[in-house]
Amino acid sequence: MSNHSGKSSLQRRTFLKAASAFAGTSIFGGVSFKAFAQQAQALAPADHCFVFAYFSGGWDQLLNLDPRDPTEFTPERISETRILPGYSLLSQDPSYPTMPIRPQGSNIAFGPAVGRFANHFDVMSVVRGINMNTVAHEVGFRYFLTGKEPNGSAARASSTATEVVGQLYPRMANKPPVPNLAFNIESYNDRYGGYANALRVSSANDLLLTLAPGPTALDSEIEKQLIDMRGQPVSCEAQLYDSRGLVTQYQDARKQVRTVLDATLDRYFRFDSTTGDPMAVAMEKSATVARYGLRVGNNGLPNDPRNSSAARAALVATALKKGVSQCVSINMAGGLDTHFGTQLTQANNQRQGWNALGDLISDFKESDHPSGGKWIDHVTILVFSEFSRTPLINAAGGRDHHITNSCAVVGKGVKHNHVFGASGNVGMSAGVVNYDTGLPDPKGFQYLPDHVVATIMASAGLDYSIMRVEPLKGLQG
Amino acid sequence: MKTTTTTLVLFTAVFALVSCSSKTVEKPVMEGTLETVDMGHHPPTVKLADPEQNAGHIGRKPRRISVAQLRESILTTTGRQWSQINNLAATLGQADYALTVSESTEVNLVFAKFLEDGAREVCLATATADLNKAAPDRVLYPDVTVTNRDFTMMSDDAIKANLAYLAIRFWGQPFSDAERDSWASTFKTVAARAKTINKPEQAWGAMCIAFMTDPRFATY
Repeated sequence: MSNHSGKSSLQRRTFLKAASAFAGTSIFGGVSFKAFAQQAQALAPADHCFVFAYFSGGWDQLLNLDPRDPTEFTPERISETRILPGYSLLSQDPSYPTMPIRPQGSNIAFGPAVGRFANHFDVMSVVRGINMNTVAHEVGFRYFLTGKEPNGSAARASSTATEVVGQLYPRMANKPPVPNLAFNIESYNDRYGGYANALRVSSANDLLLTLAPGPTALDSEIEKQLIDMRGQPVSCEAQLYDSRGLVTQYQDARKQVRTVLDATLDRYFRFDSTTGDPMAVAMEKSATVARYGLRVGNNGLPNDPRNSSAARAALVATALKKGVSQCVSINMAGGLDTHFGTQLTQANNQRQGWNALGDLISDFKESDHPSGGKWIDHVTILVFSEFSRTPLINAAGGRDHHITNSCAVVGKGVKHNHVFGASGNVGMSAGVVNYDTGLPDPKGFQYLPDHVVATIMASAGLDYSIMRVEPLKGLQG
Repeated sequence: MKTTTTTLVLFTAVFALVSCSSKTVEKPVMEGTLETVDMGHHPPTVKLADPEQNAGHIGRKPRRISVAQLRESILTTTGRQWSQINNLAATLGQADYALTVSESTEVNLVFAKFLEDGAREVCLATATADLNKAAPDRVLYPDVTVTNRDFTMMSDDAIKANLAYLAIRFWGQPFSDAERDSWASTFKTVAARAKTINKPEQAWGAMCIAFMTDPRFATY
């Protein structure tokens, strides 16, 4: 057996070596592995980026994207309209207007809680009267996240961010290291490779774990020896083993790790400290901190530099601009499930998220994209919540779950300064609109989250067939 | 012109065959190398598929190890577990069958980064623990005689034998001579540096990291 086996082993080895000669080019013994392994690409922002901003708990759309005039929808007409804007209940805080806001030149009216977001009417569309088909939190949330109505409460498709990355990533020349980043939000992948999986982080610290060197360091000279060793020539067997490219893929990933670590990208995400930063980095971070109103030491407050709506917006901007990610899904604001809370609680919690988004859009409007134009020309933002709250206030002073919803789509691929659809003036029922114009039409159709997601995907030139609906022509830019 | 090109191609192919076939020298069996055990069953020799008819490939496509396999592999090879593996399991690709319904075995940046972090933690802890253990109980160099924690005193043969042992331990496959010599050369430099900075655990610890982050550990 030994002889037989030894002969077989020798034959196999000889055969493998001979076979490697046929396997392709550049596989001669002694040629450096570096010669045919791909060079790690320098980090560069994607040409088209996406942000999915989620307001968790179900927002009151009367306070943001689908307001009503309180002089028309008065308490006296409740039995007729079934709508009570309740803006007067915000009067304890004079910073809230008591009427809908319509910035000069805007075709869009906003509720009192949208804050600085309203300033960007010129780069967005608002979709009103969406039929959510549900008033269950996890169902509505997963519906908007995937663009497919869940089975029960289980998601039935990939998240839209995963779908985008799944389709775009294989074609990208400069592949971002974390193409799909999900910050404190669910993410699904049911049909793409692991490359499309979101890196799910629950805090900025989790992201720093990926971008910063590990906690256990070796001596720098020894480190260099290890790096050099990885670039040494490999045997014929190893080359043949890699004929399908898995090892090369792994080596490339390790080079990418090195690129990310060498770029010390983690520094840009540490908004609470500039210790040890080079001057240029410190200045860039100071500008980010100022733009987003972050305040070091304000732990747990709206401008907490580590975990607030403002810090999350700053994180989104940094992840996209530094080329770390192409799609960022983010839980922008919470505390909106105010069955028993007051109007003011709902408005305060919403406004943090809207102001942060407003600052993010300002940043995108003012920053140049490396491939030309401003960042806002290269980014699409979907702002959504799982459903809305009832147009009437309940006995506890709060609002319950309502099936009709609205959303905002900002930036590339959609019409600007535009309203698509409308909810009904009785009980804010789901809208029935003309497919092409988006104007109310009794002979029109009801639209769903599927249509919004299909529109975003179609506008980006992606395959939207999985949605099984056509994009909204009246929304496409 | 065509004749010249054909001759060049033939010459190149022959050169490749010679360069890839020139290392088949019988060598003495060393500790840590695989020996065949005769189990009394002699199956017929099955010829491997012709790579030319198989798009240049032989055998099945290699795969990355899953998170469960990684967890077991780390424990088996070093005798200790990486403290973060459960925290990072989802990020490394483990399915939870709620949000992610299939195990991801992609080799991407995140996997490479965290495998490196894990290898550093586990290997340096193992190497540090080995410094205080008697020879047979050590994980990374059980048969090495060490004087004053100085690995620069090791002979070339002892270094190569231990590297061969680690190759079997971490990869389940032996080194080629050329590769083992190259690793031995690196080890000598690393050991000298570890002595200079008085961190002896970084000598075999660094080699352990190299073994654990090698594609032969992470794929099969």
